[in-house]
Amino acid sequence: MGRIGQVLQREGILGHLLVLPALLLLAGLVAYPFAIALWLSLTDSIVGRAGHFIWLTNFVSLFTSDEIFRQALRNSFVFTGTAVAVKTALGLCLALLLAQNLRMKRLIRGAVLLPWVIPTALSTLGWWWMFDSLYSVINWSLIHMGLIHERLQWLGTPHLAMSAVITVNIWRGLPFYAITILAGLMAINPELYEAAESDGAGAWGRFWHVTLPLLRPVLAVVILFSTILTFADFNIVYVLTRGGPINSTHLFATLAYQVGLQAGRIGEGSAIALVMFPALAAIVYFQLHYARKEV
Amino acid sequence: MNRVTRRQFMAHTAAGATGLTGILLTRTAPAFAQKREVTMLGWSHFVPESDKKLAELLARFTKETGVAARSDHVPNVQLAAKQAAEVQTKAGHDLMLFYNEQGWRHRDNLVDVDDVVGELNKKYGTDIYPFCKDAFFIKGHWKVLESIWPAVAGTYLQSKFRQVGEGPPDTWADLLRAGKKLKKIGHPVGIQISHCIDAPTTFWSIAWCYGAKVTEADGKTIAINSSKMAEVIEYYKELYADAMEPDVLSWDDSGNNRCLNSGHCSWIHNPVSPYAAAMAKKLPIADDINHHSSPAGPAGRFVAPNARGYGIWKFSKNIDAAKDLLRFLFREDNLTEWIQAGAGFNHPMWRYWEKHPVWNSDPKLRLLPGEGVYGRMRGWPAPPSDIFGAIDDLYILPDMVAKAIGGMSTKDAMAWAADQIKRIVDSTRS
Repeated sequence: MGRIGQVLQREGILGHLLVLPALLLLAGLVAYPFAIALWLSLTDSIVGRAGHFIWLTNFVSLFTSDEIFRQALRNSFVFTGTAVAVKTALGLCLALLLAQNLRMKRLIRGAVLLPWVIPTALSTLGWWWMFDSLYSVINWSLIHMGLIHERLQWLGTPHLAMSAVITVNIWRGLPFYAITILAGLMAINPELYEAAESDGAGAWGRFWHVTLPLLRPVLAVVILFSTILTFADFNIVYVLTRGGPINSTHLFATLAYQVGLQAGRIGEGSAIALVMFPALAAIVYFQLHYARKEV
Repeated sequence: MNRVTRRQFMAHTAAGATGLTGILLTRTAPAFAQKREVTMLGWSHFVPESDKKLAELLARFTKETGVAARSDHVPNVQLAAKQAAEVQTKAGHDLMLFYNEQGWRHRDNLVDVDDVVGELNKKYGTDIYPFCKDAFFIKGHWKVLESIWPAVAGTYLQSKFRQVGEGPPDTWADLLRAGKKLKKIGHPVGIQISHCIDAPTTFWSIAWCYGAKVTEADGKTIAINSSKMAEVIEYYKELYADAMEPDVLSWDDSGNNRCLNSGHCSWIHNPVSPYAAAMAKKLPIADDINHHSSPAGPAGRFVAPNARGYGIWKFSKNIDAAKDLLRFLFREDNLTEWIQAGAGFNHPMWRYWEKHPVWNSDPKLRLLPGEGVYGRMRGWPAPPSDIFGAIDDLYILPDMVAKAIGGMSTKDAMAWAADQIKRIVDSTRS
């Protein structure tokens, strides 16, 4: 065995070597762009031109004088809050259903994953056609069922547009919830249910006193990831509404794109993209801390 | 199958990583992968035949010069982001398509193409549409070679207008009068009031026709809060309520085209692409579509066409070859074919090309080249600047109208827009 071989036999060195590629990737693809974005957010840069360092002026200006940003802030909370709440409730129901001994169980479980597997931009294009002002199949169905008499402007009315982007986000994110919660359900020891049943617990009692407490760590992690991903959603809004009508569906990511890349005000755009970073970092810290304690 | 030992895997991974690091550090591809190639990034043309012709011309360029040439295409709305990505990384294509103020935004990173324009002027003359010069002749130098400005005309269904006893509208007031009748028979007119490029295009056109402006000629003094702008907004409100359907609030750039070609809409403000698409697909509605001059208003006839053209990045390693490619594409024989392929959409900046046979090949296209004289660059009477690029890219003008339509008072909508524009002016260095 050569000298290199001998060195590689030492677990401490080999371990570090194996982790190194991942660390380099994280440094190159996450830490470096993050640092650049942080720097840009403190400047008045326009794309391709060096900006001046202006301290926190971009951030202060966003909160004090940018009505569109404040609207995007409100939109982001409505979008994320509603979508995460509905996905959690429906995801739990779907997981409980999938845990039953259904016929063609594997096929159904596979099919449930489809919305999550299809590229978002592609599936959202399908939804775009379904919400189209002229050709909407949803409108067509509602009119033929006699539920509405005029075409609804799904993407042209602020509240309906927000409902539309939330609906697509729920449709896309639900499988992630269902499958992850299902995995948590499978890990619960059946003897606990038997013990609860012998103590006289009904279906609701078993769910409330056995299932839910034991699912809490899984739910915490799923909600954590989903909150971050939903806050940062871009594709759905960009394809369906591009932030319209009248900025009523703009989220941080779409507004940052519009300001930073489309309008070239990359300093201000970076500030919009990073403004939620401290809050999201705090959520991550507390939720992971909570999940660890639960485990 | 040969088994790969852990040691072999580590050795190969290390070798690969070292090679990749070397390429990234030196920014030089391995010699075996190097080949001289000029690359360009443009939009996905609304008339697909134009992009096919471009690919054909590039192949011909390669055959003539031995230099490979490639054109990539992205949707119009994605161009700005691609430009930003390339200029920030100082890497990407050699030539880039710019429209309107984008050339101004990237002026410091673009090579002067005065020499190419000078040579072409000898052939095509110096009678250039002023709005094209405003867009791309920046601080005394040509930074972008204009290749396409499509006339934005009134595009309408003749049968529907006949049905309500109206002819093609000569003024915006005519359009309102006809539109009210047309909506009643189920065929509304359509102007985008949404987040797309067409929306500000039409807004600028109407505003100028009513004598309204966004800033004074200095480009910094905000002038949007005026009685003339209030008149424009009131016009939009009436047109929206009585002649359009709410769809216009959600349309993208092709929304109006689809509405016209489906036979639902009877009038849109757009370049020739719906007609070109209807002809290419042999849709029966092509017979019914016709064009008229962009409507006029109390202050005259003005329109805001999108000027598009190619510029060469300073970081390009093929600047000379890129200029040669521009010379080739703009050579009379090649440009003749390229214009023809655009089916009435492609118009270069020289008035010389008003004599191209494409305009006389179809009576419905005849008026289009004449529309250039009404063209103005966004921001007019102010010169182009980063400010007007941002106003358009942030959709402030259509949002102002949408707010007024949504119930906000005209005065408050103008005040909202003035605040947004002030933020842009205050944070923009010239």
